[in-house]
Amino acid sequence: MVIDLKRCIGCYGCQLSCKAEHGTPPGVFFARLLKQEEGHYPTVRQLFLPVLCFHCDEPACVEVCPTGASSKAPDGIVDIDPDECVGCRACMMACPYSQRYFLDEERHYFPGNGATPYEQARSERHPSGVVMKCNFCRHRISVGKEPACVANCPAVARHFGDLDDPTSTVSRLIKERGGYTLHPELGTGPAVYYLPA
Amino acid sequence: MEAVPPISGIGTGRDDCWIPSACSLCYGTCSILAHRVDGVLVKLEGNPESAAGKGRLCGKGVSGLMTHYDPNRVRVPLRRTNPKKGMGVDPGWKEISWEEALDEVARRLKKLRGEDPRKLFIQRTTTVTSSRTPIQVFAAAFGTPNRSSAGGGLHCGNGAHLISGIMHASWSVVPDFQYCNYAVYFGASKGHSAGHASCSNMGLAAEARARGMKMVVVDPMCNFAAAKATEWVPIRVGTDAALALAMGNVMVNELGIYDAPYLRAKTNAPYLIGPDKLYARDPESGKPLVWDLGAAAPRPYDAVSSEAMALEGEFPVNGVLCRPAFELLKNHLKNFTPEWAERITTIPAADVHRLGSEFAREARVGSTIVIDGVTVPYRPVAAIAFRGSQGHVNSVYNFLAVDLLNQLVGSADMAGGCLGFNPACHGYPETGRPYFVPKAGPDGLMITGIWMAHHNPYPIGEPRMPEQIGLQDLFVLCQTSPFSDSSDREEMWDKLDLPYRPEILLNYGTNSLMSIGNKETVAGALAQFKFVISIDLFLTESSDFADIVLPDCDYLESLDSRPNFPFIFNLPGGLGEWCWPIKQPAIQPDGEQRRSSDILVELADRIGMREDLNAAFNVVLKLEGPFRLEGERKYSYEEVCDAELKNNFGAQHGLEWFKKNGVIKWPKKPEEVYWRHFVDTRVPIYWEFLPVLREKIAALAEPRGIKIPQRYYEPLPDWIPCPAHVTNGAFDLYAFYYRDIIHTNSFTMENPWLDEAARLDPYSYTIAINAGTGRKKGLVDGEEIWVETDAGRRVKGKVHLTEAVHPEGVGIAACAGHWGEGMPIAKGKGVFFNDLLEVDYDHASPVNLNLDLCVKVKVSKARGVGR
Amino acid sequence: MAIASGRYEQLIQDLRAEYRPQREWIERQGLFLIVGHFLSGVAAGTWFFSLLFGFAPGLAAAYVLAAVSGLAHLVFLGRPERFWKMWRARNSWIARGFIGLTLFMLGGLLYLPPLFHPDAPWSGDSWIARSGYAISVAGMVILLLYKGFVYASSKGIPFWTSPILPALYVAYALRGGVATLLLMFAWGGNTVSPERLGPLELWIGLSAAVMVLFYLGVMSGADPVARRSVYELVRGRAAVPFYLGTLVVGLVIPIAFGLAGVTGSLSLATLALVALASVVGDFFIKYTIAKAGIYIPLRPRSPR
Repeated sequence: MVIDLKRCIGCYGCQLSCKAEHGTPPGVFFARLLKQEEGHYPTVRQLFLPVLCFHCDEPACVEVCPTGASSKAPDGIVDIDPDECVGCRACMMACPYSQRYFLDEERHYFPGNGATPYEQARSERHPSGVVMKCNFCRHRISVGKEPACVANCPAVARHFGDLDDPTSTVSRLIKERGGYTLHPELGTGPAVYYLPA
Repeated sequence: MEAVPPISGIGTGRDDCWIPSACSLCYGTCSILAHRVDGVLVKLEGNPESAAGKGRLCGKGVSGLMTHYDPNRVRVPLRRTNPKKGMGVDPGWKEISWEEALDEVARRLKKLRGEDPRKLFIQRTTTVTSSRTPIQVFAAAFGTPNRSSAGGGLHCGNGAHLISGIMHASWSVVPDFQYCNYAVYFGASKGHSAGHASCSNMGLAAEARARGMKMVVVDPMCNFAAAKATEWVPIRVGTDAALALAMGNVMVNELGIYDAPYLRAKTNAPYLIGPDKLYARDPESGKPLVWDLGAAAPRPYDAVSSEAMALEGEFPVNGVLCRPAFELLKNHLKNFTPEWAERITTIPAADVHRLGSEFAREARVGSTIVIDGVTVPYRPVAAIAFRGSQGHVNSVYNFLAVDLLNQLVGSADMAGGCLGFNPACHGYPETGRPYFVPKAGPDGLMITGIWMAHHNPYPIGEPRMPEQIGLQDLFVLCQTSPFSDSSDREEMWDKLDLPYRPEILLNYGTNSLMSIGNKETVAGALAQFKFVISIDLFLTESSDFADIVLPDCDYLESLDSRPNFPFIFNLPGGLGEWCWPIKQPAIQPDGEQRRSSDILVELADRIGMREDLNAAFNVVLKLEGPFRLEGERKYSYEEVCDAELKNNFGAQHGLEWFKKNGVIKWPKKPEEVYWRHFVDTRVPIYWEFLPVLREKIAALAEPRGIKIPQRYYEPLPDWIPCPAHVTNGAFDLYAFYYRDIIHTNSFTMENPWLDEAARLDPYSYTIAINAGTGRKKGLVDGEEIWVETDAGRRVKGKVHLTEAVHPEGVGIAACAGHWGEGMPIAKGKGVFFNDLLEVDYDHASPVNLNLDLCVKVKVSKARGVGR
Repeated sequence: MAIASGRYEQLIQDLRAEYRPQREWIERQGLFLIVGHFLSGVAAGTWFFSLLFGFAPGLAAAYVLAAVSGLAHLVFLGRPERFWKMWRARNSWIARGFIGLTLFMLGGLLYLPPLFHPDAPWSGDSWIARSGYAISVAGMVILLLYKGFVYASSKGIPFWTSPILPALYVAYALRGGVATLLLMFAWGGNTVSPERLGPLELWIGLSAAVMVLFYLGVMSGADPVARRSVYELVRGRAAVPFYLGTLVVGLVIPIAFGLAGVTGSLSLATLALVALASVVGDFFIKYTIAKAGIYIPLRPRSPR
């Protein structure tokens, strides 16, 4: 995936369309938007930084998983098998990008009122006691759609494609605009690149 | 009227469909696709078929599910049992049936209509664009001129919409993102927040940014637009006019850069002005005169070709020396030097000078471009203003000074320049509808082709002794008035002999107790109504004053034929596609909620005003021929929508067609987008009508003790300070609010997804103060502080020390700080800025009555516990 | 109105902060994990010294400690019923630890019965018992080593990703073993001279102290996140347990008494108290290191 920080306007569309697609419980954000101001008055800029699981080439989470529940698929997606996870949360400690979430209680968005029909329709996707995270919307890409965050971005700041194909949009953008990853010194090899603001 | 009609598909086997409709989390009304599976709405996405949003949604739009499924929604009609009304006083709600509710409401309204229909005051929320026509029609049929869009209209519109209307024939302005190279934003966020073409603009602005458009954002706060700006120009709150006027001075007087042919042909710059500040007029026709350089004589403006008109000089007309308006403007601008501007705005003089020069040079005066085979002038600069700059006592001049920059270089509605939102439309090719194009009116000045309110911005109305409670028939340049709620309304009504007093309030969706100004003042106004009917999604703070609450269907349960019309309001401007979407229900309400449009139609029938209602629909919707509503026939709102769609797009494109297809679209033509080049009409760079207007208003008002200050009614824009700009001891900071991308007015804090995102945001719910200023005052980031005015009004909140705000600024986002129980997620979140605002004539523009939204404050640590 | 609980409120505050502490391995069920880590380390150390000094009751104690540690781990897991799946991914240190515990329990099951029951179905020098011995030692070695590596492979928490940490955990495990033995001697009468254990305790205590100081020193000079963790330890959320539990009770007291023991003799009771302090300190070093764990902040100071 490529995220163009020049285009991103911090509208939270990615964070919320992801939440709407997956129905994640409170406090769980498969995609998130961070804001950081840079500089000193009056030379100030705001950096809007959307983050999500980076589906690394050398995923630190997969290395530490004792059951193999976290694994890297042939298509590159790092996914968690919710039936195999024992909930040891070592992966949460291992992920240098803090993109994994764990709940051992039921949480609803209207406390005291139980789950809304929407939350009920989505709850089975989020069993408690196991770790969960972004999976690049596998259910969407398998039918030819883009991940929800990519398809929804109003600033058209997100692109999804094959990094191994040098002619793909993502590959070209990385080359032309100098795409970079976060914390490359950790050697995780993220598959999500940022284009400079 | 029956309950909401069933939606086909439910219960008939596997239910899994995507329904094209329209969002209503903000008035942008981007098009959506609502995904329903087995009777549950599970996703909202943009509709890629539609130009409104272009298939994408912002954070608010995708979160509509959580507003829809909010268990705190009102589900049954309610009636108060406690006769005492007050803030926080329990109304003692009792559930009643629809029959009982409608019967009582209709009875009271019918009686009132028989006495004096003007005693009905109707308020509607700007957020739901679909409410506009039903409310407008109902009010017209009922016979009341008293309408308001509460805070949304009062804070935002009187300046921006008035001047965008007069100067651009549109509701608002936006850069031509496709071609603009240099955009200067004054207190605006177009393309970086919500707004008229919300998501579409986000895409267009991002594309422009990627293309290399330079965006200069003049704003006390560096968030949203300023955050992405090529250059953020921090400005002292409310001083936009000073900067704009100084830039104009640099352009015109120092660099000598301005578009003379444009000024001659498209503005009243060449009109001759006498020593009385008014047009020199032709004695026979009364038309304004220009100096014909060829004939060396004064001639009516429409009898001379524009190339021959003088822009400068002094010329005798019947022995009186007159000057072209441009000459006056040019000299007037000399007063506003960059050094002067620095003192007022705190922007360094060198920067003021540079901005003026850059704007002038980037304008490429004289150049053209060919678009789709059509040659149009190419002026790739735009000066954009919106809520921020016009939300002051100096509302008119602040906004006008900014737009003047466009007029001076001829970039108004030209390629790359400052565009109105769709001022001209030639219509759907097969039917030629809707058709509207600006045209020349009195004195050759532009009349809009279409408008949103009942009264066009130009020609200026005739002031008279008011019969509207907002006094808009006296202060004719005002659209939404503070006098329905102000602390001095009784005094004004008495002085101006208002022949009645409002008795019944019909509120659609507004939370005016929060949206207008300080709550004590508005509470006093609300308490005086004898009866208040409120159509709402939730019980709000204002509901404490309602007698009957009617549960509204939300947008996912409602139907409307024109969520994005008029096109001047919320369809994307610039080239691309015309697009007419509809709003249709994606799901049934789960309680007894009914659609507000249906409620209004039902009430009209019960009141016995069906004939008037049909007639009003015919006028507003411009229904003709077989689609005209007849006599007293009881059309349902759905039938009316069907009629409108067929009327505009042909008999085969009725409601059923639209329900299946969602939108109808056709390509825009350069002649429509860059209409100004093709239409012979002028706009005023010299507002000659202002002193004329003042005379008329003063004649009525001043004998009754209401001052109409001349300073604000001069024909040329000026810098006039707000009350806040006076030095005031310990009160040394300017508090202001700004639009937050994650919130709409006071509505979205109840949405738990949006609330959660806001709680994570560094600015959303905090009070932003410059880090340096805060440290000097001994403030610690994150601590609770009081923000207090010298009138003793104060609000409390968590301070966020940041580099991203002007050292004198106190920035508070949106209209938060709920205290009511009806919206429990929203309760206690954020800061209620409006509580700092006075609502009275002294704190409004004397010209358009826009409320003054900047306040002088002091901040202090809040010791102690609780709110 | 808050969603669900104070936990959610806490999470929101955490997500807003630049430095977000880990809470999964320390709060609520996370405490059981720390207990489990602590107990398994002590169990392995006790097994080691019990074998060294030929002290059978110590072996039994070690076995029980290991079993309890296993239970504690189960309580911690989100899905304890699936614990057996942890043998699978053998590149993971947790899986290795699980295998280690399994081996230890299995080995002990084979090795121990003949030591305590002369009527056991197999004798102390049968191949069953001998393989049990070998298996249990293998398990013991894994148990001694694996925890530090589990922490060290947590790439998300710079404070833990130091090679010193495994060494530290081994040292503490050994210390825990010595301390347990001392406690058992004091309780049940001695068969080994305390003079041998005392200096040992002192030596391990001192080396542990050195390691702790070295570790903190390294972490203070390293990246800002690790520095932040050190801050948590010495001035922040973990400060009280760090000073009281880890330093005073866990290091100062044992070292002080150990020094006294070198110069003069100490009563068994005193040694037992020292041992108890040492054991408490063992728990608290693990507790405070876990509590002070701070995630790498995602919000970059400036990415480019």
